[in-house]
Amino acid sequence: MAIDSLKICTVCASNNNRSMESHKQLKDAGYDVKSFGTGSAVRLPGPSIDRPNVYEFGTPYEDIYNDLMSQEAHKMYESNGLIHMLNRNRHVKRAPEKWHANAYAGKFDLVITCEERCFDSVIDDLMYRLVNKEDADTEVKQVVHVVNVDIKDDNENAFIGAKGIVKLVTMIHEFKERAKEKRKNGSFEDESELLLEDNMMRILTEWQREHTHLQTLYGVAYY
Amino acid sequence: MADIVGQLEQARNLAFSNREMFPQVLRQVFPLAGNADLTIQRWCSQFFKDAFRASSDKLDPAAKIDLAIDAVDTLSLLMQVPDHEVVKNTIDASVVVFRLVYRYVADNDGSNGIWAKLQQLKAHIAGKYLTTWPLDAADTNEADMRRNIEINLELLKFVMLVIDYQSRSPTQPGFFSLSKVNPNHTLMKPQQLEAEAHKLLEKVLQVLEWDILVTPVVTATLTQLAFVAHRKPQFITRVFKTVENFDSASKYQSNYESVEEFKLSRKYTDRSIRIFLSHTLKYQLVPPNYQQVANKKVSQVVSRGDEVRRRDILAIEDPSITKRKFEGFENGTKRLQNLDYKSLYCLTDPNNELNSFDLTTLPPNILVSMTIAALNKASPERLAKGLDIVCSRYKSALQRATGSEVKKSESDDEDDNMENFSSDTVFTLPPPQALNFAEKKEHLSLIIQNFFSLADQKIPEVNDKQDTGAQLTQIAIKTWKKDSWYVLLTRLATRGMRAAPGEGIDVEKEQELADMVRQAIFDYFLANIHSRIDIVIEWLSEEWYAEKVFNEGKALQKMAQENNGVVTEEMRIEVDFLTTPTPIYEKWSSKVLDSMISFIEPGDRKIFIRLLSDLPYLTDEMVSRIKSLCYDPGRAKIGFLSLQFLVMYRPPVKSACLNVLKELAEGDQDDLKEEATKLLEKYS
Repeated sequence: MAIDSLKICTVCASNNNRSMESHKQLKDAGYDVKSFGTGSAVRLPGPSIDRPNVYEFGTPYEDIYNDLMSQEAHKMYESNGLIHMLNRNRHVKRAPEKWHANAYAGKFDLVITCEERCFDSVIDDLMYRLVNKEDADTEVKQVVHVVNVDIKDDNENAFIGAKGIVKLVTMIHEFKERAKEKRKNGSFEDESELLLEDNMMRILTEWQREHTHLQTLYGVAYY
Repeated sequence: MADIVGQLEQARNLAFSNREMFPQVLRQVFPLAGNADLTIQRWCSQFFKDAFRASSDKLDPAAKIDLAIDAVDTLSLLMQVPDHEVVKNTIDASVVVFRLVYRYVADNDGSNGIWAKLQQLKAHIAGKYLTTWPLDAADTNEADMRRNIEINLELLKFVMLVIDYQSRSPTQPGFFSLSKVNPNHTLMKPQQLEAEAHKLLEKVLQVLEWDILVTPVVTATLTQLAFVAHRKPQFITRVFKTVENFDSASKYQSNYESVEEFKLSRKYTDRSIRIFLSHTLKYQLVPPNYQQVANKKVSQVVSRGDEVRRRDILAIEDPSITKRKFEGFENGTKRLQNLDYKSLYCLTDPNNELNSFDLTTLPPNILVSMTIAALNKASPERLAKGLDIVCSRYKSALQRATGSEVKKSESDDEDDNMENFSSDTVFTLPPPQALNFAEKKEHLSLIIQNFFSLADQKIPEVNDKQDTGAQLTQIAIKTWKKDSWYVLLTRLATRGMRAAPGEGIDVEKEQELADMVRQAIFDYFLANIHSRIDIVIEWLSEEWYAEKVFNEGKALQKMAQENNGVVTEEMRIEVDFLTTPTPIYEKWSSKVLDSMISFIEPGDRKIFIRLLSDLPYLTDEMVSRIKSLCYDPGRAKIGFLSLQFLVMYRPPVKSACLNVLKELAEGDQDDLKEEATKLLEKYS
């Protein structure tokens, strides 16, 4: 991917299904991507609805995988796709990461959440960081686009949603590429048409038209 | 050019790998920002941004503060470069610099010069918020609201910083704000600063009050308002009043967005309002009298959101959607589509069949009546905008005309129907409107370009034998000579555009216009230092003279006011003995010196000494700039020779030179110490 590729991250609740499927597909498409979860802990289905498996963020997928396999209900985990999901995840990265503690990861140009509550949580947290973090004198906030693509939390929908997300990211990058070309050629009517921020709503509208099954939210924040 | 950038990259690498060298490299780069080449300006702005964001292990914090103070002028200059990349980098660098310098002034009362520069930088940046700069304005305000969002999102960061530092933060005493400034500070007046912060906040809230939705700016603003809610209780009521009145359902669809885009905009902004209110409720930031309003508002946007959740929002029919009234032209494009008069003048829909009507079939008196009726109907603003579009098309056509010939009109036959003309109606043009500031700048830019094109033309000189008798009191130009163009240009800047407060004139803006001329002359000089030293000396001499005369006049006028308007001979004598300040001259002559010092080579000795010799006035600060030459082994000879020259031939700055020599003599470099000591002994 081009040198000026956007820094992207995907976010869901547990950093296990929707954000990881998107992470994987974006990564395979060559984009610069990380992923996080907004929950207080990693929650996965358990032997019954009222007994979920709970892990701290940072617990390696490998360890989670081994723990589930050691449980009596492991056959159920295999049949409902949980084992397959963890197998996929451990090949993408080491462990689920918590959004609220992600300062170590640097800043992102584009944050894609997969659930409305996660979108709210991300924006709320970025608001909080504006106020309560002791900014070093050297710190300068960066503009970040936050887009929510609402995805139902099951394997099939995660896959479909991830494809939509890859499409959206590709459209944004294609816009930037085209803008750079136009600027070089001088073949533009108004310089505003070369600026991503001036055209983001148009891009989202165009994408939404083709993905009516994936409803969106969008806001600009500072990172 | 690639070679210069290569050298700059080496300097940058040196700076970031060597903590001790960093300040020195950064100081060397400051003057380069004045270079007219955009590539260099981009490089400089990126370097400044990275440098001021560098952590303390790479750049000493104390040195960074000193460098920040010195950077203010340079950043103000870069902030006037009409390039998105330069502007964005400059805003980011300025965020850090503003913090450091502001707190320095807070802790060091009496830093009048530094404070004035910082105020100027602030005005240059914050004043651009919610404008289209560096883009040209479009033909409607509505279009401009939705353009240049990229820069406005960056500017919002700086505006919020100014609001923070210029107002109190009683709820968060741990962070810097006006609350930490000594109430008796002579420069930072609390009431004045807080009032200005409030005014800036009003500007920030404006986007929520527009009758259309500009989603990126609205959502970004709501994010930033959380900051205000947490830290600035004195502003909270104002914020909630605006949030309460915000209703996406009462906004109009913009003429520049599809209905689908508008539907999404309403959904997105409603969500942002909900997040803002939930955030403020969670942290108990909502003022008591707005609790009920906030909860009600949350319920409203939640239920509205529920209605559209998981449905295809684009497919939902909404009869309440109304388009904003269109103020522009159907065909507002500023690029000429086809090389013909129809395309040049057509402001209606090009496909409208009315455009094919042949007006030449109508008698002239009817045409005149129609034209008069149309002109009477159009507002002056609308007419001016229409003409502006035609003008832009014409310019773009001219640029293309160099590569292609304009097709001649096939219908050159003119009907002579004068006998049908009726002179019953006498049409008078409306009085011309005063140019706004942006238009003045554009027009002045054209004038400057025209003057520089004269420099390249070979206009024959007219020799007047009586020229030898010209005196100072006579006019500057009797006949045109090859160098007359810059005499006119320098007079334009130094005399024609000088303004004093109290004349109903915005002095700072007039100054900005005059500086456009100065900058152009400066850039012209930089392009070829060797053969243009005469021009720059003449310019700076005129600069000093005009400024001195002007300021002496002001001083005399002030004395006269205290003496019932009577000017006495004693006053004139007293003014003669005053040290009249000439800050504009000092600013620009320092720039010239800095740029020469940065580029000077051993073979340029004569030119440099020529400059030092002929500049009408030197300050101690200018002299101290020569010090950096002495530190450079390859150029130390020029440095010492310059100091020696000044000691011998310019007595007023002798003590300043001796001070420089003393510093060098007391420094830690042995070879410099030896040379400086020798000269000190000779001339003390």
